Amino acid sequence: MDIRIPRLGEGAESGSIVNILVKEGDRVQKDQTILELENEKAVAPIPSTHAGVVTKIYVKPGDKVSVGHAVIAISEEGGAASSAPAPAAPAPTVAAQPVYTPPAAPVTPASAPASNQDYTYVSKSGLPPAASPTLRRIAQDLGIDLNHVRGTEAGGRIGMADLKNYIQSLQSRAVSGGGQSAGSVSSSAPKAVSSEKIDFSKWGSITRKPSSSLRQKIGQKMTESWTTIPHVTQFEDADITALMELRKKFVAAYEKKGVKLTVTHFVMKAVVAALKKYPIVNSSLEEDTQDIIFKNYIHLGVAVDTEQGLIVPVVRDADKKSMLEIAKDLETLAEKTRARKIAIDDLKGGSFTISNLGSLGVPHFTPIVNKPEVAILGVGRGAWKPVVIKSKTKTGKDKIEPRLLMPLALSYDHRVIDGADGARFIREIVQNLENFKLEDVKLS
Amino acid sequence: MKATQTQILVLGAGVGGYTAAFYAADLGMKVILVEQDAALGGVCLNRGCIPSKALLHATKIVHDSELSATRGVSFGQAKIEIEKLRAWKEGVVKKLNQGVSFIAQKRGVEVWQGRGYFEDSKTLRVETKEGQKFIQFEKAIIAVGSKPALPKAFDLGNPRVMTSTEALELPEVPAKLLVVGGGYIGMELGTVYSSIGSEVTVVEALDAILAGADADLARPVVRYAEKNFKEVRLKAKVTKMATSGKQIKVNIEHEGKTLEELYDRVLISVGRTPNTNDLGLQNTKIEKDEKGFIKVNGKQQTSDPNIYAVGDVAGGLLLAHKAAREARVAVENLAGNPVEFGHAVVPAVVFTDPEVAWCGLTENEAKQKGIEVKVSRFSWAASGRALATDKTDGLTKLIIEPETERILGMGIVGAGAGDMISEGVHAIEMGATVKDLAETIHPHPTFSETIMEAAEAFHGHSSHFFTPKR
Repeated sequence: MDIRIPRLGEGAESGSIVNILVKEGDRVQKDQTILELENEKAVAPIPSTHAGVVTKIYVKPGDKVSVGHAVIAISEEGGAASSAPAPAAPAPTVAAQPVYTPPAAPVTPASAPASNQDYTYVSKSGLPPAASPTLRRIAQDLGIDLNHVRGTEAGGRIGMADLKNYIQSLQSRAVSGGGQSAGSVSSSAPKAVSSEKIDFSKWGSITRKPSSSLRQKIGQKMTESWTTIPHVTQFEDADITALMELRKKFVAAYEKKGVKLTVTHFVMKAVVAALKKYPIVNSSLEEDTQDIIFKNYIHLGVAVDTEQGLIVPVVRDADKKSMLEIAKDLETLAEKTRARKIAIDDLKGGSFTISNLGSLGVPHFTPIVNKPEVAILGVGRGAWKPVVIKSKTKTGKDKIEPRLLMPLALSYDHRVIDGADGARFIREIVQNLENFKLEDVKLS
Repeated sequence: MKATQTQILVLGAGVGGYTAAFYAADLGMKVILVEQDAALGGVCLNRGCIPSKALLHATKIVHDSELSATRGVSFGQAKIEIEKLRAWKEGVVKKLNQGVSFIAQKRGVEVWQGRGYFEDSKTLRVETKEGQKFIQFEKAIIAVGSKPALPKAFDLGNPRVMTSTEALELPEVPAKLLVVGGGYIGMELGTVYSSIGSEVTVVEALDAILAGADADLARPVVRYAEKNFKEVRLKAKVTKMATSGKQIKVNIEHEGKTLEELYDRVLISVGRTPNTNDLGLQNTKIEKDEKGFIKVNGKQQTSDPNIYAVGDVAGGLLLAHKAAREARVAVENLAGNPVEFGHAVVPAVVFTDPEVAWCGLTENEAKQKGIEVKVSRFSWAASGRALATDKTDGLTKLIIEPETERILGMGIVGAGAGDMISEGVHAIEMGATVKDLAETIHPHPTFSETIMEAAEAFHGHSSHFFTPKR
């Protein structure tokens, strides 16, 4: 019989094989680890669902596999099979039980997986879910029923992070549930509005794929930002003709230092200077106290496109770094992000986000504020356009010149930032880009 | 007479009562602790856990020294000086009595000696040496405990028929002692008396001794009894008892026959009953169950919202450490924290030779409730330390939830089992898995290693115990 990749938990639907721990002829026991699968950022051991002797190995390290994929074949000869009757169906059907959960760290800061919401612990032994006495005490004090908290530690134990995630998900549900108090944490907490189930196969063939936990988290975060922040988006074009000349001049020198100098780095520098001048854009709104938190640091988030979806690593203290340092930091972070080796701390604490879709050829778009930040800058693809250059003298002739214009879109939280502030801020960025300071790009 | 006002009244100064009183005082409440005995500490300290442990310790050496001869270290015949033994035991108890009194004083807990009687849900009448006094309380915690059951048929008014209370007084060394009831009290005291020279016979109505313990854990204790007691009769029943000169004539039904035997003393250890009579509970809204225990909710609150109950009087397991936790739960609630006793794991220990201890789910219980579990055992015959100390009769086992490999229960029989079981309690409370235990280094060579080895054996990787591949 074939042993298939079981469904291991949220976000672990697929991955690549890093290690095969058995060889043909080996006897394996039920639940023995047969291979290691790397998914998102964790490596999960894959247990054998049956006992027997390995007759064939279908995969090799590096192979990409997903739930249900047959990985090895075993024969159940020798009567060594487990005493428990083995389920005939393939492993994915055991998903409902608290099976083995890989210790996968959440990928984006905050927010619990949406699937936390209607989870209920199923106990075979009749005991409550596993959790330390300290945690149980906290739950008791807060009136939280741990039966609805999904434990991600070994044996399904609920850790402090799981409880936090659950509380956050309750909170965001309470917010999206229309003014419901976040304190109502009973099982009657508002449920996410589910749209009517549609059978798309009525109109043609379909393929169904579970969304990854990262996908779900992005969805949840974006929904929260979009529904709780009154967005305004302002557009501007920055003339980057001179800036591109400057880049050309320095690109080789940077190359020697091992980094590719890009427009994003210039934008980051321009944004840092603007944030210093308009600290309100570098703030956060604390919703319960209605206090505005001004940050005396500038940590820039830069949206990175990965195979799995959008991830926003954060360049720390961008205001204290040279262009070279910023470029190097960003490169390391982006690499780590794409390799899914980014640490959770590298994704936290951003005070402003830049999303550059220029390299993908997009000129205009309206970015969504990355809560709890209050503003985000979208950067589009620069394009050559005819620009009327007014003569400086009264008698001189106006000229039309080809100039390289880069579209910018600033979205901000109107609860914190008014239109005039937003206008001043985006103008400042444009000014900074159009009159980019030589000393900012020069290598010391 | 004007009643004395207090925030918290605690009735009964046993482990449950003094824990409640001290904790409430620590949290800044005004507390009066009422106890009818002159000595504080209740049954556990005066007539239970402590004196029995003292006697077991003092007399264990008799048996140990006999075994020692086979190892080439011999002593002479043990000589029992019962007055001296009794005095030493009383000294231990007295030290603890004084300790509790001293701590009460330091904490500012007012201690009244006298018998308490509830006039209503707010008032306690106390019969003191100086006459009646009244206490008006805001909240009360009842912790009056339990006493050994003495069925009417056995109550001959003859001091030769004893309960654990009298047996612990060590009145004499009876030549022939009958122990009625093979629970932990009967087995512990049977061990003491057999060590000091009595010929001990145990009669148990059920088909096993140490009810509650899994059979494999009780087995070494049975073997000890077979060797050192005269007899252990299972499924046997005492039908009649009568005074016969300086002895007690006992009729016992066993294996279809009725035996008539003479004993110098009889110990009745057939259970305990709550001290809920003559408390004036009918003047409050407190309700009792059919066995007379006070009904409480998860917060230890009785049906009378002003009054809480903790310890033996509130039913459940009649164990001091359970009482102490319940006391804390009650006081937390009085302090405004809505805490519940919940699923706290209560370990049980029997201080026989060898000791037996278990916590969480037992194998018996799993079977009865139809809970699917896996059990991993490690026999002490494979422990170096056990071999080196002649303690190879021990066994350590883990009860495991198959899907999650979470530890649901632990059972140990062997030297020091009572001290080792705490690791199991902690493991269960922390939601630990069998791998967590296997990955925790245990010092070598110790008995505690057997816990790690039992965990390793679950995965078939115990170093000292070969598990054929499944």
